[in-house]
Amino acid sequence: MDDLKMLRDLGRDLEHEPPASLVRQRQRLADAASGRRGALRRPGGWTLLGVVAVVTAALILVPTVLLRGSERAPAGTQKIGKTAHRTLNLLVLGSDKRGFGAPRTDTMLLVHLPADRRNAKVVSLPRDLMVPIPACKKGGQVIPARASALLNSAYTLGGVQCAIKTVESVTGIRIDQTLTIDFGGFKDMVDALGGVEVTLPQSVNDSKSGLRLSAGRHFVKGKVALAYVRARHGLGDGSDLDRVKRQQRFLAALSRRARGQVFKDPAGVAAFARVAARSIDAVPRLGLTEYQDLARSLEHTDPGEVDYSTVPCGPSPKDPNRLALTPEAAEVFARFR
Amino acid sequence: MVSAMTAPPALGAATADAEIIRRSLAEPEAFAVLFDRYSGMLYRYVSRRLGPEVAEDLVGETFLVAFSKRRRYDLEHADARPWLFGIVTRLVARHHRGEAARYRALRRSPVEERVECPADEVAALVTASASRPLLAEALAALPRRDRDVLLLVAWGDLSYAEVAQALGIPVGTVRSRLNRARRKVRAALGEVDPMSEEA
Repeated sequence: MDDLKMLRDLGRDLEHEPPASLVRQRQRLADAASGRRGALRRPGGWTLLGVVAVVTAALILVPTVLLRGSERAPAGTQKIGKTAHRTLNLLVLGSDKRGFGAPRTDTMLLVHLPADRRNAKVVSLPRDLMVPIPACKKGGQVIPARASALLNSAYTLGGVQCAIKTVESVTGIRIDQTLTIDFGGFKDMVDALGGVEVTLPQSVNDSKSGLRLSAGRHFVKGKVALAYVRARHGLGDGSDLDRVKRQQRFLAALSRRARGQVFKDPAGVAAFARVAARSIDAVPRLGLTEYQDLARSLEHTDPGEVDYSTVPCGPSPKDPNRLALTPEAAEVFARFR
Repeated sequence: MVSAMTAPPALGAATADAEIIRRSLAEPEAFAVLFDRYSGMLYRYVSRRLGPEVAEDLVGETFLVAFSKRRRYDLEHADARPWLFGIVTRLVARHHRGEAARYRALRRSPVEERVECPADEVAALVTASASRPLLAEALAALPRRDRDVLLLVAWGDLSYAEVAQALGIPVGTVRSRLNRARRKVRAALGEVDPMSEEA
């Protein structure tokens, strides 16, 4: 058999079609061409899977640690079964408050949990989607509807309620629960515990994430911890899947560390729990019991049974630098009902 | 493999790349036409070598680099593909460790099996899947410069002259690197060559 032909066959199997989000790169070029500066995207964004891993871990960690801290659940949170064992649609927003101006949601995910929790569906909604935004209220003020605006502007304009209203009207899906996660809090969580141990099979020097570590075991905290979970290059095989595995390992280590420190450093663990609780904002508010129920109901969900995808979309007919939903999106949303 | 994105009306599909680059010297926005033409093609190429996660960012970077160097583009070359592939190759080089790891990962996990293919293709497929780990291993073991040439020919569909232009090396060097790379690949495959009687 011809070696070049075999090589071409291999290439075809390895090939991926360009995603709709490639338009962001066109925007980067357009920004450079128009001499605009500062409009560039933030480096090393959080991946879809990373967000899910963080949510899951936070759901499990927060109640575990909080319950260790105080043995009894506070009164008034006894609505047992409200979140567990019924079909749930979650809207997960990843916000980053470290930047300037209003907090932004760079990540928007719809998570569908069937009543038996055997599997889960996760669909990401790209922030560059152009959608109609309904009229929203914020602080007694009415924000008028917009015929077409960036999906993530709903949150910036009218907060969580406006993001929920927009997603519900665009998708026709009823959102049962919204979880907003502030990634700035992640670093503080690690720091509160005094760091987490990681093992590197080889040394890393990644200019992109700023990660520089030698091979072997390290105790990482602060920016290094953040770089470790965010880095795509220089660690493992450079794939997204690899990064997700690394994030999950890190979160498992974080969880072990939290448990181990309960007796050794109660003050540190209390600080950790405070930061963790503060980093996740639930609407409607989740009581401790509900958190715990939700976390427990997910304990037996096989990570392999989680189906991740991006909502079907393509370049917007009005603006090639933006995205618009394609008709196939309706089929995806229908599976959430 | 021109992408389906729309191009500004002033520059038609028949306009040569060199003309677009010349135009972009006065109107920088015109450069986006090149993105619409080739971003898909470059994405596919990089997704083969480095995977889809890196590809998106790398394609964006390629066009930023190209844009900043457009004044130095030799307008004699009507087709900008070799130039863009040259930039891509230099950016891919930064990931050479990840690239080798990607190919090595193929040794362990065979690429998805396609069971529904017609019977007469099965034999060829069996051969292909049996030798795939060896092919992947050979690719991972190639020196970077040789691999660049081999993959620009096999996956980038560039001619020898275009590879020479992309990498800024003489055509003779392209030939010698390609021959060396193919010899190593064939040697690696030879161990299970189904055509040989001893196998």
